[in-house]
Amino acid sequence: MFPMLTLLSMFYYICLRRRSRSGTRSQGLGSRRAVELGQRSVLPITVEVEQYGKEVLDFSSHYGSENSMSYTMWNLAGVPNVYPSSGDFTQTAVFRTYGSWWRQCASASPPFRRTPPNFHSQDYLELAFEERVYPTAVEVLETYHPGSIVKILACSLNPFSQNPPTDVRWEVLWAGKPTKAPSPQARQFSPSIRQISFPTNLLRLEVNSSLLEYYTELDAVILRGVRERPILALYKIPVIDINDLSDSDEEFHDIGGLCCRSGGENRQNFGNGYFDSLPYELIQLIVSHLPVPDLCRLAQSSKLFHKHCSDPLQYIQLSLQPYWARLTDASLCHLQSRCTLLQRLNMSWTGNRGAVTAAGFCSFMKACGLSLVCLELSCCHFLTEACLEVIAQMCPNLQELNLASCDRLHPQAFNHIAKLTNLRRLVLHRTKVEIKNDSITFIHSAIFKAIYDVFKIDDYDVVASMISSRCRSLRSLDLWRSKNLSERGLAELVTGCRLLEELDLGWCSTLQSSSGCFQHLARSLPRLRKLFLTANRTVCDSDLEELAANCNALEHLDILGTRMVNSASLRKLLQSCPQLKLLDVSFCSQIDSRLVQEFSGLFPIVSIKKSFTQ
Amino acid sequence: MLSVLSYGRLVARAVIGGLSQTDSRDYSLVSASFGFGKDFRKGILKKGMCYGDDACFIARHRSADVLGVADGVGGWRDYGVDPSQFSGTLMRTCERLVKEGRFVPSNPVGILTTSYYELLQNKVPLLGSSTACIVVLDRQSHQLHTANLGDSGFLVVREGEVVHRSDEQQHYFNTPFQLSIAPPEAEGSVLSDSPDAADSSSFDVQLGDIILTATDGLFDNMPDYMILQELKKLKNANYESIQQTAKSIAEQAHVLAYDPNYMSPFAQFACDNGLNVRGGKPDDITVLLSIVAEYTD
Repeated sequence: MFPMLTLLSMFYYICLRRRSRSGTRSQGLGSRRAVELGQRSVLPITVEVEQYGKEVLDFSSHYGSENSMSYTMWNLAGVPNVYPSSGDFTQTAVFRTYGSWWRQCASASPPFRRTPPNFHSQDYLELAFEERVYPTAVEVLETYHPGSIVKILACSLNPFSQNPPTDVRWEVLWAGKPTKAPSPQARQFSPSIRQISFPTNLLRLEVNSSLLEYYTELDAVILRGVRERPILALYKIPVIDINDLSDSDEEFHDIGGLCCRSGGENRQNFGNGYFDSLPYELIQLIVSHLPVPDLCRLAQSSKLFHKHCSDPLQYIQLSLQPYWARLTDASLCHLQSRCTLLQRLNMSWTGNRGAVTAAGFCSFMKACGLSLVCLELSCCHFLTEACLEVIAQMCPNLQELNLASCDRLHPQAFNHIAKLTNLRRLVLHRTKVEIKNDSITFIHSAIFKAIYDVFKIDDYDVVASMISSRCRSLRSLDLWRSKNLSERGLAELVTGCRLLEELDLGWCSTLQSSSGCFQHLARSLPRLRKLFLTANRTVCDSDLEELAANCNALEHLDILGTRMVNSASLRKLLQSCPQLKLLDVSFCSQIDSRLVQEFSGLFPIVSIKKSFTQ
Repeated sequence: MLSVLSYGRLVARAVIGGLSQTDSRDYSLVSASFGFGKDFRKGILKKGMCYGDDACFIARHRSADVLGVADGVGGWRDYGVDPSQFSGTLMRTCERLVKEGRFVPSNPVGILTTSYYELLQNKVPLLGSSTACIVVLDRQSHQLHTANLGDSGFLVVREGEVVHRSDEQQHYFNTPFQLSIAPPEAEGSVLSDSPDAADSSSFDVQLGDIILTATDGLFDNMPDYMILQELKKLKNANYESIQQTAKSIAEQAHVLAYDPNYMSPFAQFACDNGLNVRGGKPDDITVLLSIVAEYTD
């Protein structure tokens, strides 16, 4: 009995020990791995923590479809899938645009004046990590056409905490100019970052791919940091660029605070020097070159400058996008008095984490919306239907409205947009807003410039039919990833909108060339300048021949991924379209790189894109 | 000595297990794969888990263990398309879906549907077709959920007997149900089944159940009783023994496939349908062997 028990307990003991030793190997790096630094004896052991991203929380755009994991922003979280390989892979994070091609289109809005020279960002993404650390290094694994990162910021807020603090700070870890790496091969980008005074687990990357040859692709981001507030010795002392520091300082000053402090600390003893003898208009001209924070600072220096800087004529165009991190309801409130003549307003990216609320925005609109002609509200997560209602009421002259990525808008929000009878340009990219038949009546006379990727439409054919009958003077239409647009809808569209110059039909997989829809398109739209037929596997030689015969003004053409186009029809197209600047023949199996080289030599103005996977 | 220790471990576990509730413990699959490509001359080493035109994957997520096999249809080779590209990409996409948690354990057909949709989102114009079989073990509920499209399939063996098996889906002889992406000019004439056409089933499993997932290269060459004979030799629930057994099964099937006089299940079926043939069926063989065990981290 007893020997049996001892034997059993002995077995169990041995088994327990064996089991604890041979655990299954955990997955790679997982999300954290501790590496010991420093000496054990004298200094306390500082543990450097290395983490991959846990979750992508927000971003301005991406190439892939909303429910997909191909070329979408969510691929940035977790361990790298592609690095160190290079190439155009589905498992990476890709933004929607690249280069300067979209800015060259007629549907692009002109840049805002007074953009500070060090603000280069075109797109952004926010990535949360598991654990808060004081960052010592940030490494971005770029796997295709690197060089787009222009800014890395860290946030003091923990996005996973249950009780978020009201005071949210963003600090710039690194800022630079848009670059272009010498080759499209993968690289690990690790700029030297600044030391910050708070631990963080939320990073924001801002990118600008205007110098790049093709889409940039990001695979993963590694955040290295320490848990305790570091002593100086652990950091490689970054090269402190005085210009850098002072520029970023000015961006993160509380604009509201600046504008609030009333100028007119009375220095009447000193007068204003030569400024007293300059005409009013001239001082206005001088002051018109200052970026907004400088304008606010100048207003505090004397009564004269206060008068000039609060003159509503200085605020006809206002871009608050570079100051997204610091703009609050209070700032808007203080700007109200100066913005009564506001015509173009850019508030894209503002309202980050509750700094601007719908109420604050509505009161600003009520005060300043009357002359508004252009309103850019991309990625404004505070925007609700109530805001749209106020916009519809207060901005009767509105011609351009950009609501890209405003995810809190419901499908029926279009009812308010429909009340804007002067609307010429409308961007609904990545929103849930639906264009309804009965609410589209207003655009019968307007030149409706663009509808971007209307997200939730069930039947694109119906929308196409509506547009063709109501928007006869439409110039630019973006139907990227219109899931169920068929040849019927397309035929109606091109018959009705004869003045179309830009048409994006990328990834519309239901369009079949065999129905003749592309040939009909070519014959109907002689003014066509941009045509995207990305990933439509049915585009064939006869389509290109029709385009060559009819659309000689063509500047941008994308026929990625078709197996049915050969070199002869492509050559004919290149010969017949002298204005062609962009031609994307990636993954076209009959067009190989040798051919691309030959055509690039024969037609030097055309930028021919041929992407590769390895 | 080793077997005494492991026997002792089983006894000890049974004793302790009897004292506490076993139902609350999570199960998991300990799996190994082995296979042979049909064409030896193809010396190209494919990236992970591809045997000829077959492909497979083993993946785990927080709540489930998932296995899958796909048999690329060889007929595409005549049209200049590499059949292994489709099956390989399908399986790797399923694996990625599982690792990122974009699936519901009780809906393995959903994994196939989503994976097929993702294939169409690739910039690269994929062509080809394959069968597919997905097996999901829900750790907590102890249920096995399966989806099968085509003539690959699985067996569940408990105490030396087959308790569950999949059914073959064929349109006609040697033409199984298949997921496919066809070139646009051949759209009407290429067989393309929807992922929804997959057979699905769900049932409970117990500790010690053996699950064999394989392509038709195995089932067409080795009848059940031979497979069961090999499985009888599997005593331990550790990776090495499972790997060894999978290897021996695959090897045996491989030998039988090239035996011209052996009456294989494939030859038997052909004879039943009026074709007078004998011998094995040379084909790509993929074997995924798993045992239901307790979940250890």
